[in-house]
Amino acid sequence: MIYRVRHLTHYIYEKPVTLCYNKAYLLLRNTAYQTCLGSTIDISPLESNGQRRSDYFGNQSYYFSLEEPHTELIVDVRSEVQVHESKYSAALDLFPDLDVSCNQALQLLKQSNDLSVINAREFVLDSPMIRASDSLREYAGSSFTCDRPLLTAVRELTHRIYDEFTYDPTSTSISTPLNEVLQKKRGVCQDFAHFAIGCLRSLGFPARYVSGYLETLPPPGQKKLEGSDASHAWFAVFVPGGGWFEFDPTNNSVPAEHHLTTAWGRDYGDVSPIKGVFFDGGDNQKLNVSVDVVRLEASSYQSSMGFTQRQSLSSG
Amino acid sequence: MDGPALTIADEFDYPRIEGSYDEVYGREPQMREHWQHLLKGFKGLGAKGIMERHLKAERILRDDGATYNDGSSRHATTWQLDPVPVLLESEEWGGIESGLLERSELFNLVLKDLYGERELIRYGVIPPELVFGHVGFLRSCQGLFLPGEHQLILHACDMVRDEKGSMHVISDRTQAPSGAGYALENRTVMARVLPSLFRDSHVHRLSLFFQTLRLKLNHLASQITSELPRVVILTPGTLNETYFEHAYLANYLGYPLVQGSDLQVSNGYLWMKSLGELSRVDVVFRRIDDIFADPVELKSDSSLGVPGLLEVVRSGKVIVANPLGSGLMENPAFSRYMPEISNHFLGRALRLDSVKTYWCGDDSDLKYVLNNLESLVIKLNFNKPGFNSVFGSQLDSKQIDALKQSIKKSPMHFVAQEYIRPSTTPAWDNGRLMPRATVLRGFSVAAESSYRVMPGGLTRTGNEQRSLNLSNQQGAVSKDTWIIASEPEKQTSLRERKILSSSMPRIKQAGVAFPCRVVENLYWMGRYAERAEAALRVLRTVFVQFNSTYQMPDETRRLLLRTVTDVTTTYPGFTGDDPVMFAQPETELLAVILDETRYGSVSNNLNALLNCADQVRELLSADTLRVINDLQDELNALANALQSGLSAAPEEALDPLVTTLLALSGLGQESMIRGLGWRFLDMGRRVEKAFQAVNLLRSSLVPVLPESEQLRVFEMVLLSSERLITFRRRYHSENDVARGLELLLSDSSNPRSVFYQVELLRQHLAELPSASQGSGITEEDRHLLEASSTIQLCIFDDLVAENEHTGTRMVLDQLLGRLQFLLQESSSRISSKYFDHVKVHQQLVRTNWDEEL
Repeated sequence: MIYRVRHLTHYIYEKPVTLCYNKAYLLLRNTAYQTCLGSTIDISPLESNGQRRSDYFGNQSYYFSLEEPHTELIVDVRSEVQVHESKYSAALDLFPDLDVSCNQALQLLKQSNDLSVINAREFVLDSPMIRASDSLREYAGSSFTCDRPLLTAVRELTHRIYDEFTYDPTSTSISTPLNEVLQKKRGVCQDFAHFAIGCLRSLGFPARYVSGYLETLPPPGQKKLEGSDASHAWFAVFVPGGGWFEFDPTNNSVPAEHHLTTAWGRDYGDVSPIKGVFFDGGDNQKLNVSVDVVRLEASSYQSSMGFTQRQSLSSG
Repeated sequence: MDGPALTIADEFDYPRIEGSYDEVYGREPQMREHWQHLLKGFKGLGAKGIMERHLKAERILRDDGATYNDGSSRHATTWQLDPVPVLLESEEWGGIESGLLERSELFNLVLKDLYGERELIRYGVIPPELVFGHVGFLRSCQGLFLPGEHQLILHACDMVRDEKGSMHVISDRTQAPSGAGYALENRTVMARVLPSLFRDSHVHRLSLFFQTLRLKLNHLASQITSELPRVVILTPGTLNETYFEHAYLANYLGYPLVQGSDLQVSNGYLWMKSLGELSRVDVVFRRIDDIFADPVELKSDSSLGVPGLLEVVRSGKVIVANPLGSGLMENPAFSRYMPEISNHFLGRALRLDSVKTYWCGDDSDLKYVLNNLESLVIKLNFNKPGFNSVFGSQLDSKQIDALKQSIKKSPMHFVAQEYIRPSTTPAWDNGRLMPRATVLRGFSVAAESSYRVMPGGLTRTGNEQRSLNLSNQQGAVSKDTWIIASEPEKQTSLRERKILSSSMPRIKQAGVAFPCRVVENLYWMGRYAERAEAALRVLRTVFVQFNSTYQMPDETRRLLLRTVTDVTTTYPGFTGDDPVMFAQPETELLAVILDETRYGSVSNNLNALLNCADQVRELLSADTLRVINDLQDELNALANALQSGLSAAPEEALDPLVTTLLALSGLGQESMIRGLGWRFLDMGRRVEKAFQAVNLLRSSLVPVLPESEQLRVFEMVLLSSERLITFRRRYHSENDVARGLELLLSDSSNPRSVFYQVELLRQHLAELPSASQGSGITEEDRHLLEASSTIQLCIFDDLVAENEHTGTRMVLDQLLGRLQFLLQESSSRISSKYFDHVKVHQQLVRTNWDEEL
């Protein structure tokens, strides 16, 4: 399956901004299940310096600065990405071969000399936005009994979050602490991902934050609205011997062909879509974001952007 | 030097404490040889002699502005230096030196590995959590490497000697080690106060160490530019605890001292904002901590760094030393793994041991620590302001329990070390030599092929016998550290020169420019100095009038008081109509002098002046620094003198300050290089002098008074402008206001006249680098030209004419008003044209989570 993604970010400032320096995570990375076929970034006004780089986690970042006064900033990112067939099968049969139990997983994490396990231990630790806590451990504990397969337990945790938490964009902000999310049982995809990660880490399991896009389908019989898609967030858990497995607590699903991955890290802070600083610009700013995810027929795929598939199939 | 143990008496009877290690005795009953000479020398000086040397040392340190800001007060305190140095003889030092060198090599390898391949983790030499769980591991610094073998450019280790006499490292400084500059200052002072003892002791010199640092920084710069290398020293600012050292090193090494706001990223390079232009920077020798370096990618609310710096580093267009991310290595838990790390990289055991260290992130260590807290020193794995090492032995059972809880809650953050009872060394304490616990900070700097260790270091001793925590923040006293050569150093300076010239022959350094912040501060230093002087002069004159036996009519009294308010701009002051205030002006007058929170007061201006001086400290001569110190002292003295009110001859109390301000002004004229710095300092002075003269005239001479009163006020104006005598000599009519105005406004031979200031200002402007750019006359010059012509075209007899309707000198009022406007405008033009207006950045996305874990 091939998708075309357009992510448009539009800032309007009260007064001219004289200088700004930014770092963006808006480019889709390659993963075992997806290959980015190509992408363009258009910044208006034109950036005075722009640089793509691969970061610590293997994500694609884009660093740019503007040195001429401007009152608007538009970041227009277009990508084409291929999602591989293999992802579907993993989603459909829910990992039947992998029955590493919670206990075994914890033991392997401690003892294994396997490099992937050693590296995954980074994701058990606290990160700036996600702290392990007793209340998270208590909340999640009942799902993670010793002999239960870890993935079954995580599936249940995802399910519980979906059932017990209400999606409510007005209830939280970027920096709402997890204990408050737990108390209110409200939030958005990012809160739910953080919350699940916090639960897993509190129990000693490695979990990471994944940001990306979700293709939405219009109600039957209706035409899809432009800009109606959204950036999305979910999480992945590490199973020793099995690798990373993704879960989407907001939709109670296992991310498959509708989920496109931009970047991953310890938490939102590692991969926030755009961060940076600016000088002047007044006290207020307006922000508009619109995202379109359009499915292209693979058989008739002809890149409209002149991309070819030559650009790397390596996985991250 | 053979001889029997010193037969000493009284205050030089340095006691030996049984069972402990003392630098003088070791573990033997007899004094070690190299100490005998020194202590004999001290005995020769006698208690009085030592006291004198100690005082002299204190005075030099103060004059040099050597301060340490312990954070407890607004003003930094003078650096504490004990007159007794610590001695180590060459052979013993050789062992310590090679251990330090090895440790720096190892830390360098570790740093390279952890931001690169992370072999140490992969091969299980260190647990992954040691790195991944540390707040100093900056993922955005992955893969940032300096050109060449060395990542770690400057490294410092604190060491203590245990009871058996072996040295142990207790902590490392790897991001922006402090202390090397203080060590150098200590040495400079000691060589001055104990010249013959110093000379005869054959002490290894420190200069080669700093030359190596300088060469290394220049060499790094030459890796990324073919032009003359530009190196800057980045300081967090004047409030930093070790700001003195930043300025001191900047001077010693010959690099500009900059703050984050003096730098800017543009077009993919780093630039320093110099006067009217940007100049490229190749190497930043930084004294700010990692996380403050770049608000885009690191701590987002930091204003100490430079937005976008990290990306410039990443693209190889600038070098930051020590590299960003190196704070990771300050985690004391690394000491726990040093033996394994040494084995891994070098295949051998460590030459210099770390103190036995436990990391609570390790299960068995945690267990041990929880069971043995009483005998351990507990530290955090990162440097957290306000958290000092905790000595388990000093805690009661409640505190032990609380500490246990904190450790159990986040074990990875805690590190424990065996307590070593530090060796003692003699310190001068109230006329006696007393043993004090000692810690030595050693330094190494990357040289061409390996590291070079400073022969000596910064010794700190407890300020009382039982001090456990020997940090400067805890009030420790420093000492010079003498490494005693067995024979005199052979022609060190020549050898140095040879080594230096052969190693990197072609690298020179770009001419030192300074950031425009410095220029701006000089400009304001000039303005505040003149402002304070003008205020003092007018106050002094008014006091004289008030204290005279003459009963002044109310009208005159009011006029004089209003003039005080106008000249000092301490509004509303005496410009209101409150009769009580005029009847009892003392409270307000005192406030005009002493209330530092009152804008325009003498104290406020002097404090502003002192702040500006702090900002430009590295450009001020030793004499100037001394005068600046005097200002501070006299300000304090004035506050004391006026404590009981104005009654006791207040005008005399103001005299010393006026004299000191004149000394400052004289130094500027006589000893400053006629560069841009001097030019702006003088421009500030001229602008302010002109302003003050105009203010004084407008406030005092526009109202028309009865003849005898007019004379009184007129004389006061002349006196305050230092022109009373000139006037009397030149003009025989005492009350000729027109001639007086001519003298004060337009006389080109009067260095206090307004015209004189305006003309000098115009000359300065013509000499500024950007003056030649563009065609036609600049705005600021246009204003000054108008001021100049207006003054020259004055008909003074018309100026003094009284307007019948208003009872004031209207024409004079208009003229002076116009001059005020023109001066104001040209000053703000100069300021907006040449000075950078520091702005505070905003975050694109406001984040307020705790970035420090």
